[in-house]
Amino acid sequence: MNQDQSATSRSELQEEALSHIDALYRTAYRMTGNAMDAEDLVQETYLRAFRSLHQFRPGTNLRAWLFKILTNAFINDYRKRSRRPRSTSLDNVEDYYLYSHLIDSGIQPASSRPEDEVLANIPDEAVIAALDSLPDEFRQVVLLADVEGFSYREIADIMSTPVGTVMSRLHRARRRLQSAILQAYTAAPCSVGSDGDACDARLR
Amino acid sequence: MLDCDEVMERLYQFLDRELSEAELAEVRAHLDACPPCRDRFTFEQNVLRRVGTCCRQLSAPPSLVEKVRRMCDQ
Repeated sequence: MNQDQSATSRSELQEEALSHIDALYRTAYRMTGNAMDAEDLVQETYLRAFRSLHQFRPGTNLRAWLFKILTNAFINDYRKRSRRPRSTSLDNVEDYYLYSHLIDSGIQPASSRPEDEVLANIPDEAVIAALDSLPDEFRQVVLLADVEGFSYREIADIMSTPVGTVMSRLHRARRRLQSAILQAYTAAPCSVGSDGDACDARLR
Repeated sequence: MLDCDEVMERLYQFLDRELSEAELAEVRAHLDACPPCRDRFTFEQNVLRRVGTCCRQLSAPPSLVEKVRRMCDQ
């Protein structure tokens, strides 16, 4: 490969890498919890990526590669100097499926599928607050799977964990997320609608 | 045919498209015949989608995009 070709493919790779900046930023934002740290983390990610772009194997997944760099930068760099309290344990936390809770709580069926109505009435803020309350590893696995759509294999590579760990972590994280959504929802003042239907549908 | 518990064990792998074709067919056959499980799967899928759409509303600030663009080789 001559120098011109090499320069072209490098700038093409940089351009492609840049197209993933929204995904990297929203993940960084949810991982660090604020815009300033998220921007620092994303810049650090691109700095490292561009520095080691020659190590990237063309034809492999550039997006997953960038997320792996982001993850390493978060763990090795950001988290060490962060003063944000780090919650890592899910032990002793009650996990349950939102669905079971909705069914067990005997919500009044205002429609044929009342549980869908309840979900639709949960504000975005409650969903985000619930996600933010998860320990880092669990929040990240949800972000990678449910927001970014990575496969188990890709997540395992990004997080440097076995696929089995990804699956069990994801399973627990989603259940924990559902109980946290419910907590965030029931803790927030009811602001949905004026006829009180949403409040009535709220769970006890 | 898989029973309800066996199908529930495969809930997330099904929604995450991580089952083999054969396993997928087994779960589908059960869901076609079992409305309660079908409702359950639909609800779980809606929860996951909801998380995705909430988080994807955020995008990188233009100033950050500009900074990173300047990091690219000239």
